[in-house]
Amino acid sequence: MYRRLGQEAFDLRIGRKLLELNWGLVVLLCLIAAVGFAMLYSVASGHLNPWASKQMARFGLGLVMMFAVAVVDVRFWLRHAYTAYVIALALLVVVAVAGTVGMGARRWIDLGPISIQPSEIMKIALLLALARYFHALAPEDVGRIRWLVVPLIMVMAPVALVLKQPDLGTAILLLLSAAIIFLLAGVRLWMFAAAILAVGGALPLAWPFMHAYQRERITTFLNPESDPLGAGYHILQSKIALGSGGLWGKGFMMGTQSHLSFLPEKQTDFIFTTLAEEFGMIGGLVLLSLYILVFAYGFAIAMRARSPFGRLLAMGFTGMFFLYVFINIAMVTGLVPVVGVPLPLVSYGGTSMMTLLFGFGLLMSVYIHRDLEIPRRPDLLEF
Amino acid sequence: MILSWLTNRRARRRPCTPADLQAGTPTVHLEGEAKAAIETGRNRVVMAGMIFALVFLVLGGRLIELMVFKSTGEPVVDRTTALLQRLEQPHVPARGAIVDRNGVLLATSLPVAALYADPRQVLSAQDAAAKLVGVLPDLDQAAVARELASGKSFVWLDRDLSPRQEYAVNALGLPGLYFHDEERRVYPEGRLAAQVLGYTDIDGHGIAGVEKYFDARLRDPALRGTPLALSLDVRIQHAVRDELAKSVSTFTAKGGAGIVLDVRTGEVLALVSLPDFDPTHASEATPDERFNRATLGVYELGSVFKTFTLAMAINSGKATMTSGQDATHPIHIDRFTISDDDAKRRWLSIPEIYMYSSNIGAAKTALDVGPAGQRAFLGKLGLLRKASIELPEVGAPLVPREWSTIATMTIGFGHGISVSPLQFTDAAAAMVDGGLLVPATLLKRMPGAAVPAERVISPATSNDIRRLMRLVVAYGTGRQAAAPGYLVGGKTGTAEKVGAHGYRRHANVASFIAAFPIIAPRYVVMIVLDEAHGTKATHGFDTAGWTAAPTAGRVITRIAPILGVPPVDENAPDIERALYVQLPPGDIPAQDRLPATDKREKKVAFN
Repeated sequence: MYRRLGQEAFDLRIGRKLLELNWGLVVLLCLIAAVGFAMLYSVASGHLNPWASKQMARFGLGLVMMFAVAVVDVRFWLRHAYTAYVIALALLVVVAVAGTVGMGARRWIDLGPISIQPSEIMKIALLLALARYFHALAPEDVGRIRWLVVPLIMVMAPVALVLKQPDLGTAILLLLSAAIIFLLAGVRLWMFAAAILAVGGALPLAWPFMHAYQRERITTFLNPESDPLGAGYHILQSKIALGSGGLWGKGFMMGTQSHLSFLPEKQTDFIFTTLAEEFGMIGGLVLLSLYILVFAYGFAIAMRARSPFGRLLAMGFTGMFFLYVFINIAMVTGLVPVVGVPLPLVSYGGTSMMTLLFGFGLLMSVYIHRDLEIPRRPDLLEF
Repeated sequence: MILSWLTNRRARRRPCTPADLQAGTPTVHLEGEAKAAIETGRNRVVMAGMIFALVFLVLGGRLIELMVFKSTGEPVVDRTTALLQRLEQPHVPARGAIVDRNGVLLATSLPVAALYADPRQVLSAQDAAAKLVGVLPDLDQAAVARELASGKSFVWLDRDLSPRQEYAVNALGLPGLYFHDEERRVYPEGRLAAQVLGYTDIDGHGIAGVEKYFDARLRDPALRGTPLALSLDVRIQHAVRDELAKSVSTFTAKGGAGIVLDVRTGEVLALVSLPDFDPTHASEATPDERFNRATLGVYELGSVFKTFTLAMAINSGKATMTSGQDATHPIHIDRFTISDDDAKRRWLSIPEIYMYSSNIGAAKTALDVGPAGQRAFLGKLGLLRKASIELPEVGAPLVPREWSTIATMTIGFGHGISVSPLQFTDAAAAMVDGGLLVPATLLKRMPGAAVPAERVISPATSNDIRRLMRLVVAYGTGRQAAAPGYLVGGKTGTAEKVGAHGYRRHANVASFIAAFPIIAPRYVVMIVLDEAHGTKATHGFDTAGWTAAPTAGRVITRIAPILGVPPVDENAPDIERALYVQLPPGDIPAQDRLPATDKREKKVAFN
């Protein structure tokens, strides 16, 4: 039925679509991933195993998936947005009831050879669902609280489930990504102010319900020197590594903090520290610039999308990507408390890599189908 | 820029009003609305983009700040230095240490940890209990598991963990276990001076002995850094305790007391009471073990009291070394008969009365002085009030309510009055120390400090008493106390203990008071054996000459070298001349063959 409304773009062949792909962005992603490979090679003391080789394989697989997602018509993603959301939510419920416990949290569903982390699926599914909802909503209704109840529930349900796992990092990521979409959709600014005030007021109330380790992270964040060998260890060692890097760094594979294992999680959440120690401030700023370029691409794509869905999806994902970068770097530099958020495309780990590349696939799909006009249809609001 | 964007937004929203709807054509309106929506959306994208850009700037700035301007991890260095400084400071305990006169540690407080748990945080009570018992074997695994499964928010698990144990518990890595820092009172010398030191309660407050007497001093923040120096010498204390314990065991005695006193300073060098206990584990001690026989116990000491009787008589001029008493017949007074065991049935000179321990002679000598004089004399010696010593456990003497003639006579040979061994020893020291009474003390006197002293007898009387005491060890009942070379003088005393039905024939208190070197005494030694029994080696005798005297002799042999008393030739002419006592011809048996006449000295019997 979309065919009737569609335009030439929809009829493009796959080959043509691939040509339309934003190859500059692809190159950028490869560059960032390559930085990751190099750092994983370094922290393994000059070996591809155990991390770099696996990471390369995953990136390759992810790229293929990204292309596949990109060539699919953006309206397909619109149509199946709610389905994806409902499936992701169901999986979150399943994981809460029968998930596998790993590292003290219940996050995984074990399916034999592969295990699924439903919270990662939810990151994309929530973007899709919110984009679809606000796409269909009349601009004047966006300002009405009545119409915000449903999307708020859509956000809070997964956030609550993820918090229960417990996975504070993902919960924050979901919440802030959703907030970005709300902002993009045109929700009144005073509502954001009210929400921020409400959350700020509720934090002291939430304190007694937090896990001991979460409280500890917050107190440690406020004063990492209070417990240099305990909870403050991560962040202090990280700061030492950054400080010892200096302007130009110690050189590739010369970082002592990471190689001598002062630094925990050096291959995952704290990999930026390794980079900064070995390549110095310049290296850190170069990586940051690469991220800014990616962000600029996302911004441009969002600006060029004609449909609200495409715009919301593109900017929503760009926002999420931005949040990854921001939370991770702010965390290792001690600007925010330690929450488990990886450095996108660089940190070792398959799940977030797949999530991100899937998201970039969506971003590119929006780009390829940027001129497609998708009418606002109230029936899209209904599940 | 944001401001202009806000006004733009207002402007663009205007076409949406119903008025516009009516005025404009539908097509234009729709186009305007769609355009406006797109514009709003794009504006919001720009806004988000700006926020992101700003945040990126902050991130970059932070990176530059950390990596270029603040290029070390000073906080960790600071912390380490602070920690080292804290470690280098000496640990000042909440309760001061106690040391002996040479600085040997007798009591100290060690930091220990008390282990408690928050069972709500314990993952598996069974697992945690099993692991805990692995490193703290004294714990009862079932009880610990029960406590940890109780669901309470606080349970004590163990106390007094050493740093090693605390480390071991920490190394288990169990959540929900915590430590509370405490101090534990420890007595490194164990039982050595148990009743003197006393002990503390679980909160570190002294509740017995020196710990109680000096509780405020030991806890005073200004003074607790300096150890409290006692007059005791652990070497002397050990020798006395060791020899006394041997005798208690050999003679299957109920217990005993041993005291060594410096006669010139009044310092108590050793104060032993047996049986004793380990004050580190005071709660396990029996009341009998905690009982200080040397200060809290008061005893009828028997014949050793004749020393005071004769000193009193000689000092008052009622007797001389050559005067005597008629000891031909027992004395019958009221319902009592006073008789001698080894009765000579003749006149006895004063030295003979002492040497043969004649009750009749002592009673008559006491009577010559009279009740008032005796009471005043004993009062001057401090025998009628509680001993003044730095201990809470001091027994009050038992003295006659009515100082009758018969009381005067029995007190003359040490019956009818009960005193603590310590106050007796202190008074006896005055008898040999030229007549100066120095109050006994458990605190070390600083060298050169003035020593309070009160004259109780004349130097001449004191000199006579020395000669009398030497006579007892040389020829009388105290011969087994002779420690060759150290010129021991002394007096035995064996008193039957008072039971429910009068004096008990086979339960006695055997005592020996010794002074050495008797020619110019430096130290007195008091040995008391409570209910000593005869052995084959003593031919069944359980009297002081066979039990307490040899104990005192062994003690002196051991402690004299430690105290720096040089041995002398006891038969040197000047010494013999100084100690010469004229006795009736033929009275002294051949000096190399002395009779083992040490009969029961008790002479009071109820008719």
